[in-house]
Amino acid sequence: MNTSDILDDINKVPGASGAVGPDSVLDVLAPAKEVPGILTALKKSGFGHLSFVTAKDLPSENLIELVYRLFSYVSRIDASVRTRLDRGNPSAPSVSGIFRTAEWHERETAEMFGVEFSGHPCPGKLLLPDGVEAPLRKDFKHEKMTPLPVV
Amino acid sequence: MPVQAPFELEKLSNKEYILNMGPQHPSTHGVLRVVLKLEGELVKDVFPDVGYIHSGVEKLCENRTYPAIVPYLDRLDYLGAVNLEWAYVLAVEKLCGIQVPERAEYIRVILAELNRIMSHLLWYSAFGMDVGALTPIFYAFREREEIIALMEAATGGRLTHNALRIGGFRSDLPKDFLPGLGRFLSSFERKVDEYEALLIDNVILKARTKGVGALDPELAVSYGVTGPSLRGSGPAWDLRRTAPYSVYGKLDFRVPTSEGRDTWSRLKVRMDEMRESAKILRQAAGALPSGEVSAKTPRVLKPAPGEAYSRVESPRGEFGAWVVSDGSERPYRVKFRSPSFSNLSVLREIAVGCNIADIIAIMGSLDLVIPEIDR
Repeated sequence: MNTSDILDDINKVPGASGAVGPDSVLDVLAPAKEVPGILTALKKSGFGHLSFVTAKDLPSENLIELVYRLFSYVSRIDASVRTRLDRGNPSAPSVSGIFRTAEWHERETAEMFGVEFSGHPCPGKLLLPDGVEAPLRKDFKHEKMTPLPVV
Repeated sequence: MPVQAPFELEKLSNKEYILNMGPQHPSTHGVLRVVLKLEGELVKDVFPDVGYIHSGVEKLCENRTYPAIVPYLDRLDYLGAVNLEWAYVLAVEKLCGIQVPERAEYIRVILAELNRIMSHLLWYSAFGMDVGALTPIFYAFREREEIIALMEAATGGRLTHNALRIGGFRSDLPKDFLPGLGRFLSSFERKVDEYEALLIDNVILKARTKGVGALDPELAVSYGVTGPSLRGSGPAWDLRRTAPYSVYGKLDFRVPTSEGRDTWSRLKVRMDEMRESAKILRQAAGALPSGEVSAKTPRVLKPAPGEAYSRVESPRGEFGAWVVSDGSERPYRVKFRSPSFSNLSVLREIAVGCNIADIIAIMGSLDLVIPEIDR
């Protein structure tokens, strides 16, 4: 299956749009509920390796953007699937049934950004101690965090 | 961090019990806790608990200028530091559109491959000790010390090299580096043969590791396992070949694999990789062009808004850096994709059903570096 066929299929999904971005990465933006379907389709067309799942915080737009980074060992191209969640109550379906590695990556993303992954087989903290919530959000404050001095 | 393992105590039968391995345990090579559900010696379930040395390096990076982030990467994987730095500087160079001079590319290859041998030699020594063989470390550390001396001469650091700069290098290799590298390479492959005969081909070790901890290739890919741990299960996927970066496309080397899928195959792959790294080193040292070692980079680096992901084949697998720029002199978000993180997550699948002593061998064969998992 070549890139344009994959893109055609993705663009048929309601609310989803795909294009070849810079660095020839297949860039897909989709609503959260469509992500498992899109990842399943991409996995079928050769994208067998999920490098990571992560997020970035966009407080100015009141959004949390989730990013799923894939690589195809067959066609040797990258794909990045992203979805935008409401920052107040971010929730997305878990994809750990499709890629087993997502289980740990989602746990990390959940604790770092306060995102909820519905249907996750083993939710709970992975790296952080109790009492630290969503440290990678931009508005996270900690007494020991001081800005870098300007030299 | 300390979490409740999902084993319900009241549901345990009379024969079953829970055992904590770690967080301070000599075979976990760092602060890693593994909760085991056992029945006698038999492992019924495994639950790795990570995060004891989480340092929030991704958050720290948001408060540092682009060049100031490089030394932090050395601390993530203190055995393959140059490889990690490389992934990060590649991402920033991609964002800024910096073209690195060819001489710098070759020097990067040389340092990264020396790093790989260094890392594999330490893994070899530590694995020997894990399974009760104390001799290997005394031999392997002799060669490792030679490499460390070379790295120290080139970069100034023994483990935390801080070698790479965005755009190339701060300075060229010292004059006596290449002759020293030649001396090291003249006998290294013979030594690898010796080491393989000493430990990997040892009958007792084979009896302990063959057929233990079998990892199915499809399962491995689904768990995001990369590096020698994946190649021990068959797929010849090495980023230096599947997604070549730098000048690896021009170099001739083999990607060692093994069909055994078990713990022993993963050991064998690493031994073969050291030989291939020596081959790469010889070619790179021979083809090293003359010229500049650094591109012209602005003093204050402000990449255009955008994002870039680049990855390298670190000694443990795919290490990647995802850098998001908002146009300022500090990154908006940095994510490090670490190979040990994904490699450890597969432990539950391969360790259930084996004996407790096998867990040590299996974890050793995955070659974990804990700071890289916890970041």
